Amino acid sequence: MSERLFSAGINNSSYTASPLTDPPALRPAPQASRTRPVFCLTRFFPCLLLSLVSIIARGDGPDLEFNHDVRPILSENCFHCHGPDNATRKADLRLDLADSAMSVIEPGDPESSELIRRILSTDPDEQMPPPDSKKQLTSNQRQILTAWVRKKGSFESHWSFTPPKHVMPPNLDDDKWSGGMIDKFIFAKLREEKLSPSPPAKRATLARRISLDLTGLPLSPKALDEFLNDDSESFVEALIDRLMHSPRYGEHMAIRWLEASRYADTDGYQNDRYRYQHVWRDWVIEAFNKNMPYDQFVIEQIAGDMLPNATLRQQIATGFGRNHRINSEDGSIPEEWRTENVVDRVDTFGTVFLGLTIGCARCHDHKYDPISQREYYQLFAYFNNVAEWGVGPNNGNSPPYIEIPKNWPNLNPGEDRLIPPDAVKLRNARAEAGNGLQRPQAGSLSTLMVMHELDEPRATYILQRGQYNMPDQSAPVLAGIPDSLTISNESMPRNRLELAKWLFEPSHPLTARVAVNRLWQQFFSSGLVETSENFGSQGSPPSHPDLLDWLALELRRNNWDIRAIQKQILLSQTYQQSSQFTKNLIERDPKNRLYARGPRGRLPGFALRDQALAISGLLVEQIGGPSTKPYMPPKIWKSISNNTYQRDQGANLFRRSLYTYWRRTIPPPTMMNFNAAAREVCVVRTETTNTPLQALTLMNNKVFIEAARWMAQRMLAQAGNDPKQAIRRGYRLAVGRMPTSDEMSIMWQTHANFLAQYKENPTEAEKLLATGTTKRDQTIPPAQHAAMTMIATILLNLDETISNE
Amino acid sequence: MNRELLSRRSVLLGSLALTSLLNRESPANDHESMVHKGLPALPHFAPRAKRVIYLFQSGGPAQMDLFDYKPDLSKRFGEEVPRSVYPDDRKTTMSSAQASFPVAPSTFKFSQRGQSGSWMSDALPHMGDMADEMCIIRSMHTDAINHDPAITFQQTGSQIPGRPSIGSWIGYGLGSHNDNLPAFVAMSSRGSGKSGQPLYDRLWGSGFLPSKHQGVKFRNQGDPVLDISDPAGVSRDQRRTMIDSLTKLNRLKFDQIKDPEIETRIAQYELAYRMQMSVPDLLDFSDEPKHVMDLYGPEVKTPGRYAYNCLIARRLAERGVRFIQLFHQGWDQHANLPAQIGKQCKDTDQSTAALLRDLKQRGMLDDTLIIWGGEFGRTIYSQGKLTEKSYGRDHHPSCFTMWMAGGGAQGGVNHGETDDYSVNVAEDGVSIHDLHATVLHLLGIDHERLIHKYQGRDFRLTDVHGTVVQPLIS
Repeated sequence: MSERLFSAGINNSSYTASPLTDPPALRPAPQASRTRPVFCLTRFFPCLLLSLVSIIARGDGPDLEFNHDVRPILSENCFHCHGPDNATRKADLRLDLADSAMSVIEPGDPESSELIRRILSTDPDEQMPPPDSKKQLTSNQRQILTAWVRKKGSFESHWSFTPPKHVMPPNLDDDKWSGGMIDKFIFAKLREEKLSPSPPAKRATLARRISLDLTGLPLSPKALDEFLNDDSESFVEALIDRLMHSPRYGEHMAIRWLEASRYADTDGYQNDRYRYQHVWRDWVIEAFNKNMPYDQFVIEQIAGDMLPNATLRQQIATGFGRNHRINSEDGSIPEEWRTENVVDRVDTFGTVFLGLTIGCARCHDHKYDPISQREYYQLFAYFNNVAEWGVGPNNGNSPPYIEIPKNWPNLNPGEDRLIPPDAVKLRNARAEAGNGLQRPQAGSLSTLMVMHELDEPRATYILQRGQYNMPDQSAPVLAGIPDSLTISNESMPRNRLELAKWLFEPSHPLTARVAVNRLWQQFFSSGLVETSENFGSQGSPPSHPDLLDWLALELRRNNWDIRAIQKQILLSQTYQQSSQFTKNLIERDPKNRLYARGPRGRLPGFALRDQALAISGLLVEQIGGPSTKPYMPPKIWKSISNNTYQRDQGANLFRRSLYTYWRRTIPPPTMMNFNAAAREVCVVRTETTNTPLQALTLMNNKVFIEAARWMAQRMLAQAGNDPKQAIRRGYRLAVGRMPTSDEMSIMWQTHANFLAQYKENPTEAEKLLATGTTKRDQTIPPAQHAAMTMIATILLNLDETISNE
Repeated sequence: MNRELLSRRSVLLGSLALTSLLNRESPANDHESMVHKGLPALPHFAPRAKRVIYLFQSGGPAQMDLFDYKPDLSKRFGEEVPRSVYPDDRKTTMSSAQASFPVAPSTFKFSQRGQSGSWMSDALPHMGDMADEMCIIRSMHTDAINHDPAITFQQTGSQIPGRPSIGSWIGYGLGSHNDNLPAFVAMSSRGSGKSGQPLYDRLWGSGFLPSKHQGVKFRNQGDPVLDISDPAGVSRDQRRTMIDSLTKLNRLKFDQIKDPEIETRIAQYELAYRMQMSVPDLLDFSDEPKHVMDLYGPEVKTPGRYAYNCLIARRLAERGVRFIQLFHQGWDQHANLPAQIGKQCKDTDQSTAALLRDLKQRGMLDDTLIIWGGEFGRTIYSQGKLTEKSYGRDHHPSCFTMWMAGGGAQGGVNHGETDDYSVNVAEDGVSIHDLHATVLHLLGIDHERLIHKYQGRDFRLTDVHGTVVQPLIS
């Protein structure tokens, strides 16, 4: 079961204590026919009766919402045998459908309800879930179900399958805090929980927060000063606008999309051969930098090749559909791996756009959500017509691919139009007699893999147990949307382009919610729906359902303008609160799901490295192009594979981390160390850990030491002989503020200590200063430079520096 | 970590930080640190093994040249392997278009070893000496015919990448015995033969488990653990000073903003400092007596070699690391197999046997489970040209040999039978899921109850399969 977030009267302590009121959310139970084929009440044991009575005697039950409180319990514990999957259903009972469930529920009468009797039973032959399921209800969960049945046991459709509702937030008299609609929703919930919002963050803290969130980089001291001295009323808005128009914005926004799109520079299996998709990556950066509306952003990536009079840019967008892994291993069976390509496209589509775990229905009907195996292959059919071969060329891009014009991205008039890719041309993989593998032609560095439909569509069949070689050829499956998501029969999409457009039907229940949830997640570290990859029955219910719906409708009302929504979030009082923790909040809401304080958390790996480069002055701000090969541990590839990593020289060592070459089987260890997605499959949510290996990287990794050496130069630049001046400059660079006197005294003493040691051991100072490939400013005496480098290392390791608060 | 060392270190550490580090009750510390104590319900029953050393032989060792003795096949040299025994659709596309599939009997001599009389190839003389400790499974089978899906299946229970590796499952379930080392350590080595098939980080990855459960790969180039060494020009004392100052500054921050993550971070820097001491200590063999070094053979001092990794494995086992996995590359002999496999055996035989002996003499074999094997077997038919002295063998999933020793595995057992051609399992087949279920069982884990929820679904190492193979258990 998804974790309970709040103490809405459900946890053990507050259950009995809370005042019990009628739950407004529950509607009267539908009058279903009551047949009772399976169970019988006469076998009631006295001891069970006792426990039942004691539970029922507790009162009316708390404020229950079916989707929030009840469905998660049923889904987790019952749906496996009493849910959507036809094949594993027991006793012909479905607890995901009201009509069927009413056969074991007497609304208002738990004592007479077979469901309740079974969950309270201790008889191994009777109890539910049965012992061999290895699932067990907690007493709290039993209480919730009992209270729910007493409250008439009414059902609601799963929330995410019904269109967003336009609900206005309550206007509370005592709300002196809210600035806009977002705040009103948040404030109302805080009131319910008897919590208050936090005061606003300090201006400098807020500036750093906004800058890191929008660009992945801190403000320079000069930019920060300008912000602090801006006495206009709309100073925050001005900062947001300025940052959103920085090219760094698109780069930063692209990272999460690259992770969701499983973008990488290699094929991902076995020898993990090279591919060239960076033109697509640059398309994404440009799309964010031009604030392309989300509908266009999505439609072009799914089916830009099928748009009428498609442009080259629209065709390039479809690289999205080809970012999956491709197997090139000798001995492979092409159809097996072509099937995996299609599966990956379907699963990615499900996760990114629908927030559903569609992949669960590949081998059997979905256990929890209304998606049958047949419907899985209906979706499969949309992505099954790509003019591809199942095995890769064993180096280079796999067809279909196109040759990118040499002058890209500055196209000549007439060049911005779709290029028909060459068809697959097969050759024998090896000259050896007996080798039966055929491979397609390979595309070079100047090509890009794109989506392209076969003239003659492939037939799609249900694959039994999901196996490529077990198609049920009795009848082909036609492309189509699962019944549960069908908006209208007239608009049933027939191909990939129509599927993309279907996502943006006005009453689509999922697209906008899933998208705004990810936008929220990006700023608050978790979404309003915590499981941003799963809006289905097993996902976590939204913490603020009405706010989620309001944001979704707002995104649509603004014609899918991503920046407009981001701006609303960033301008909210909610976002701008101080992230100060209090004892009460740590106890009541440790994960800050109620937003009684501002967000605070460790920066992602990409931002950590980029920030160190930026504040040291090493960062090379150059957008796009082939991926870069910065420092890596020695023999990073050669030690376990058959390829050699050839490190770049010069500027490419200090480009932003999103450009770092991503070898799927050996991803950049520093990024992985800080919880980057592995780019094997679509990932829309990553964890944030806090480990000793991260400490080792920040203290010892070459690029961080080289950055500290450069930062020390900056600190010393105008400091003369005054280390305190240098330390002050360092604090300004690292955390955008002056040190306190306590901090200064620690730093000053530490510096004196290091300086004495390096004066005594000048060769050690020289060794430290030799870290990296760049030259140092020889005018600085080595001992001074080395000691200040150590101070800079401390600054780069400060919790405050590596966190966004 | 040995106690003496720990107490020596304690003097160096700031007392405040150390207290919080060792205080397992501290939620902040327990929450994210590497010192994960396992799931509360585990072990489900009394374990036979406390730790595992998995000697993974990457590439697919040929079962009929090492363990699966088929003396009668010498009479069938060059005959076609019947299609009824080996249908075409189970061959890889590397050899499926061959005009002929001739029987290639092993050129190796076999003899019966130990009290148990297990048949073993003369290419493995030292392992043969340990035959009575070995529980040989001749009837392993897998679903995959190519390296990537097959090794991914062996490591994660699924051919398609994305699930947690066996070591991360075990670390997740049982936690670590050592505060200064990870619960799961992976190492790789190459021999004197062909360079072999690549490995991938996901083989020791944590998939959808929290990433702290991923195996830490000890590198055989540069720092053994990423960034474990202080930069040139920074002494241990200076590192200590640096961390002390950092801790003071972070504590000031904590006093101000009260984020519990800051306390965790302070503890992690201390742990990092201790790892910086314990890893070099682990790799420093100067405390090993000569007779022990000799046991492992001449390559024991060479980083990146199998013998070296075997000794590190023992030292990790002593320090309480839960799951230690060696990957030895180079068993993929599509051509010139007899010469190539001979080199592989020479590179690994002595130190494998030495590891068993060494653990036994320390009384550690009883609770250390050793597993030996690769991702699949090899074809009885020759891939490419067959001569009296040489042949190649393609990948073969339908039968292959693995063995276990110690840790509750029944020594001297030969489990399962293959058919006359070493193509199909004839009796007592053991699937990858069965093997995983058995390994977990020996560790005191019910494989059906080691569960992690991901994307709304319960996942297990054994998926929805697997049966504990009782005859393998002592």
